[in-house]
Amino acid sequence: MMNVRGYIFSRSFFGERVPQHIQNIVIRDFCKKNRLNYNLSLVEYAMKESYTMFNQIVDEIDKFDGVVLYSLFQLPESDKIRKNLCEALLKKNKKIYFASESRIIKSKVELEKIDIIWKLKKKIPEKFIH
Amino acid sequence: MKLKENKDSKDVKNYLSKGYIIKNIKDIKSLNYIRKIFIKEIFKSFPNQKNQKEENILNNIHKRVKVKNLNDFRLKIFNSVNKNEKFKMSYYNLSKEFLDQIVGNELVMQSRINLSIQMPKDSSSLLPIHADTWSGVSPFEVVVWLPLVNCYRTKTMYFLKKKKISKVNKILLNKKLNTDQIFRKIKNDIEWLEIKYGQVLIFDQSIPHGNVVNNEKETRWSMNCRFKGIFTPYGDKKLGEFFEPISLKPASLRGINYKHPF
Repeated sequence: MMNVRGYIFSRSFFGERVPQHIQNIVIRDFCKKNRLNYNLSLVEYAMKESYTMFNQIVDEIDKFDGVVLYSLFQLPESDKIRKNLCEALLKKNKKIYFASESRIIKSKVELEKIDIIWKLKKKIPEKFIH
Repeated sequence: MKLKENKDSKDVKNYLSKGYIIKNIKDIKSLNYIRKIFIKEIFKSFPNQKNQKEENILNNIHKRVKVKNLNDFRLKIFNSVNKNEKFKMSYYNLSKEFLDQIVGNELVMQSRINLSIQMPKDSSSLLPIHADTWSGVSPFEVVVWLPLVNCYRTKTMYFLKKKKISKVNKILLNKKLNTDQIFRKIKNDIEWLEIKYGQVLIFDQSIPHGNVVNNEKETRWSMNCRFKGIFTPYGDKKLGEFFEPISLKPASLRGINYKHPF
């Protein structure tokens, strides 16, 4: 069974706030369904654009087979930082899972797809109001 | 003028006046591929049906699967087929020429294509009258509905006649009504969409629709998947979470990567 580290946010992202215990429930459920051995989530700092905990995960990733984020929109907002951190994980053959979206990055092809989604998300106006 | 040509197209006129179009699929290769994927999945659970016609296997699945096991059976197939990227692209390919006219050619597609199995007399998998927009879906989305068997009478879905929308809107002002009561008030204003295997339905999900207990002798198998323009407004179903881009054009690719020089 693959050993994965959880990762959740203590701040909102793209205008959405999800309570931490709910993020953990979603990650646990995702791990159960995908037969991943879940290790307690690290909670990202609340300060805007802080990725201290994500950096920590990248640094200690040798202990795990991958990381499970609650959402792909918790990756760093900066295209460059996001790319560098994800590539660092891929270089070590680690997988990046996103529980809410049921997605996975395990190669550069998937990383490029996620990159496009991120860039579109930043350019597209907020949701339609009825 | 291109715009005028587009408005004059029969499909566009039908979509605007009725809220849906039913078209014969030209890309039969993609359609057959999709149905074969389902047959393969069924064989995993019931391998002793290999001499039967595909259509009969699907239509008669209620003789092998009990209603109480239906959702697990459906989810097993749903999860398996949605892991297959070729399956998803085949679904898009067979509806592409119609989507190009109705929606556009830079699209997002629902990440996981829904599967519906309606067994005869089963009241556990019903979708009562609803419009997706009533629950926060963007009115810019369309649904591509693909049957794997012939669908008719109660084996198919119903669709409100578009000219009756104002009547439903008035009915909805009475907030004490439940969906059965709403349905009874509009049951003479709906049409049952007869769709054969080999055809595809594209409809505006802001127009009320639903189904009733399948009182025919065969099981309905159908899929549904939402599409919208990448740059049109999103509702509760978001990019990345529910939708993924499938046909981003070079100019847009340049646009999303553009950065000012300083």
